[in-house]
Amino acid sequence: MSEIAIGIDLGTSNSCVAVMQNGKVEVLPNAYGEATTASVVAFREDGGINVGNAAKANIIHCPDRTVHSSKRLIGRYFFSQEVKKAQAICSYQIIEAENHGLRIQVGEECFSLPEIAAMILSEMKSIAEARIGQPVTKAVIAVPAYFNDNQRQATKDAGRIAGLEVLRILNEPTAAALSYGFGRGLSQRVAVWDLGGGTFDISVLEIGDDVFEVLSTAGDTFLGGEDFDDRLIDLLADEFAVRTGINLRNDPFALEKLKVAAEGAKKGLSLESEVEIRIPDVITDENGESHSIERSLTSIEYAALVNDLVQTTFKVCDEALQQAGVVARDLDGVMLVGGPTRLPLIRDTVREYFQQEPREGIDPDRVVAMGAAIHAASLVSPDQEAYLLDVTPLSLRIGIVGGLAEKVIERNTPVPIEQTRTFTTFKDGQESVEIKVFQGESQEAEDNELLGQFSFADFDKGARGEVEIDVTFEINTDGIVSVTATDRATGRAASTRITLSSGLSEDELDDIIDQGRTDRIEQTPVLDENDHVIGAIPLKSIPADTPVIFEETRASKTKLLDDDSDLIEEGDILPLDEAPAVPEAAPVTAAPAEGPTGESGEAPQLKSEPSAFDLSEKTAQVNSSDPDEIAAFSGNFAEKAVDPIAISTEDEGDELDLIDLDDDAEDLDLLGGDDEDDLGGPILELGRDAELADTEPVMTKDELFETPGTDLSALDDDSEEPR
Amino acid sequence: MPEMAPTEIKALARIIDELDYYQLLHLKPNASPRDVKLAFHSTSRVFHPDANRHLDSDLRSAVGDIAKRVTEAYQVLRDARRRGAYDDQLGSGGGSRIRLAEALTAGSRQDTETRQGRTPQGRQYFNLANLDAKRGDWAAAARQLQTALTFEPDNEFFKSELKAAREKAR
Repeated sequence: MSEIAIGIDLGTSNSCVAVMQNGKVEVLPNAYGEATTASVVAFREDGGINVGNAAKANIIHCPDRTVHSSKRLIGRYFFSQEVKKAQAICSYQIIEAENHGLRIQVGEECFSLPEIAAMILSEMKSIAEARIGQPVTKAVIAVPAYFNDNQRQATKDAGRIAGLEVLRILNEPTAAALSYGFGRGLSQRVAVWDLGGGTFDISVLEIGDDVFEVLSTAGDTFLGGEDFDDRLIDLLADEFAVRTGINLRNDPFALEKLKVAAEGAKKGLSLESEVEIRIPDVITDENGESHSIERSLTSIEYAALVNDLVQTTFKVCDEALQQAGVVARDLDGVMLVGGPTRLPLIRDTVREYFQQEPREGIDPDRVVAMGAAIHAASLVSPDQEAYLLDVTPLSLRIGIVGGLAEKVIERNTPVPIEQTRTFTTFKDGQESVEIKVFQGESQEAEDNELLGQFSFADFDKGARGEVEIDVTFEINTDGIVSVTATDRATGRAASTRITLSSGLSEDELDDIIDQGRTDRIEQTPVLDENDHVIGAIPLKSIPADTPVIFEETRASKTKLLDDDSDLIEEGDILPLDEAPAVPEAAPVTAAPAEGPTGESGEAPQLKSEPSAFDLSEKTAQVNSSDPDEIAAFSGNFAEKAVDPIAISTEDEGDELDLIDLDDDAEDLDLLGGDDEDDLGGPILELGRDAELADTEPVMTKDELFETPGTDLSALDDDSEEPR
Repeated sequence: MPEMAPTEIKALARIIDELDYYQLLHLKPNASPRDVKLAFHSTSRVFHPDANRHLDSDLRSAVGDIAKRVTEAYQVLRDARRRGAYDDQLGSGGGSRIRLAEALTAGSRQDTETRQGRTPQGRQYFNLANLDAKRGDWAAAARQLQTALTFEPDNEFFKSELKAAREKAR
């Protein structure tokens, strides 16, 4: 028997784990029988840690000890826009760590983002082990295709902390395509439109039998279903403020209720054209008077609320199609991935944009985990059955003089790939060179993500222009970047996994693993009588004349709530095709889902037409497991914020001086005549690439010399002319 | 492409710098874009790191080096502009590798030249054709393009423009 390796979709709102055994892919449900588990970590006062649905229930009671939507923060700098937004909105404490890193503080303890992610991964691992019945140590983890190197690296670290050997960091749309096309001998060109809780990806792939070639990918890591929820929260809060003069945003408990309501309404509108939003006792004013929110919401109103967000995705699609060199009508199929794609308004606009019906029979919540599982199985089996030819989503750049960043590897270049540049020192006897690596699409260094910087000193000192240093940039099949600097004369090299300054060092990782805080996670709880799980009732999937099945099972328990929010114990409804007969739910198999029924635990509790759901404190308490995303952040993430990068400028002096040598040492004469000692240390890249002048702004010498603390300058023959 | 013996893999990795991209992908210089894609797929089946993870680390690193060069070759040859720049470099004995960023900028320049004319006379008549086209005089535009083509007989862009102008003129 071959080794077991699982596939994990580590989502912003929910995570999912799957395995492929004996040629069959199965989504492994948690102890509640649900296919997805909330990506929420709760730190209890007693030191215990809950992950998943039990943790999600905690949000309303201990918002400051419950960490949700952490995927939006992983691999980010403290000064980034995303972190600022989260700080303003999240009830948990985000603090700055060394080197612009961030930590989440809970009581006396601080946790890095990879450690939080590790707790979720650890839970998914336990779920898998419980279902498979043997230890699991290997996994493929899916991440948004548009994740940059920092985010990928942090995710990989998370896997390590969770005790998993991460076989591959796999792009989510690629995983979805694999799940769709694996073993079917297809020859198709497809687009995968993937809107998750916090990110949007679009990938265009060509499936040719066993080869899955990504032609292009594009995305927005600031846009997801949670942003839709924020729009509705804003609407409800604004209306409430007009009516009562009370700002609900100032009350964390009221805000949580709004979030649950907004999320519920979104899911309701995936099934119905109108929902009833009722939040009894949303807040009690200073006179002791209790206020409620009651409002119906039509899908048309909702579409108007989120339309601009949806349209943003199509701008990204334009870009991806253009990069792939295809037009919408060339595509053989469009796959929808992610919970929000259940919204009719999404399906309609996608249909309109691509001029075709999206593929049916794909479960948008599970397809990524299933694809990851297929790839995981393939990576531990002796026979290779599918070849994934993926691309890097973002251009790789090197910092040059004038605050610019020059492209070394273009976005959508297939991986693995390697490119080498040769540099030389700029001054006689120069001690070291400083190399800064960026990812992004802007020529302005600061508009890109700084992946890391390192200084290389291990070369024999010489006169300027004599030292030759090869700097090699590599992107591997995980999309992870590494950079090596080698002194040509001696062959001595400094190799670095580009560690972003805010990332975890090897030592820190070891410390975290030694601390073993993930061991505090309470193992998948056995439900007791007081635990109630709200599952799904996809009404539309049940023919109208079918008697509703009432069944008392613990697994996949569903609560119906009446207007008074009292629990109707006998009202447990299960989707017909998924009702587990025994508490231990059978794993959900990967056969293409029949319509929208494969949604156990994902749809809102619905009563009748028009579907309604209630929210009261009580509901929220028992709502321990509504497994879809909970709204986490308000504000509009659609405004694509680009983080300002603090470029260190204090590194003036000897260590910055580099010149790209390439082949023409005489190019150095370009610089002749001036006193380089005044430079404050720019590094020059001198190459034969006169073509640069066509596309990249080139420094005049004056500009060059006025810019302190920058690293490399791209100078070429043409740059003489402007002087 | 057949499976390779360890010694063959190591030998290929050793001589890889001597192979140009066409040789690496087993392609003829006039290979079509479809040929390039198919060659990339079949070569990847042999050298993709996933397919070779069971090898010992020496061999794995040799395969990895080949795989990286294969993607590099594909990235250049699949794009007409980059491929043009690379062919020029090969033609002038400029080495078997081209930096991707350079191939792109050189390719763009070549593309711009093609689109605006590579010769002074070609550019002149092409500009005149544009003026005629703006006025809606497609017959005149076609004549100017015809003249431009006498200076640059292999300019595909001019040819397609001429075809379009003739159709419009009808």
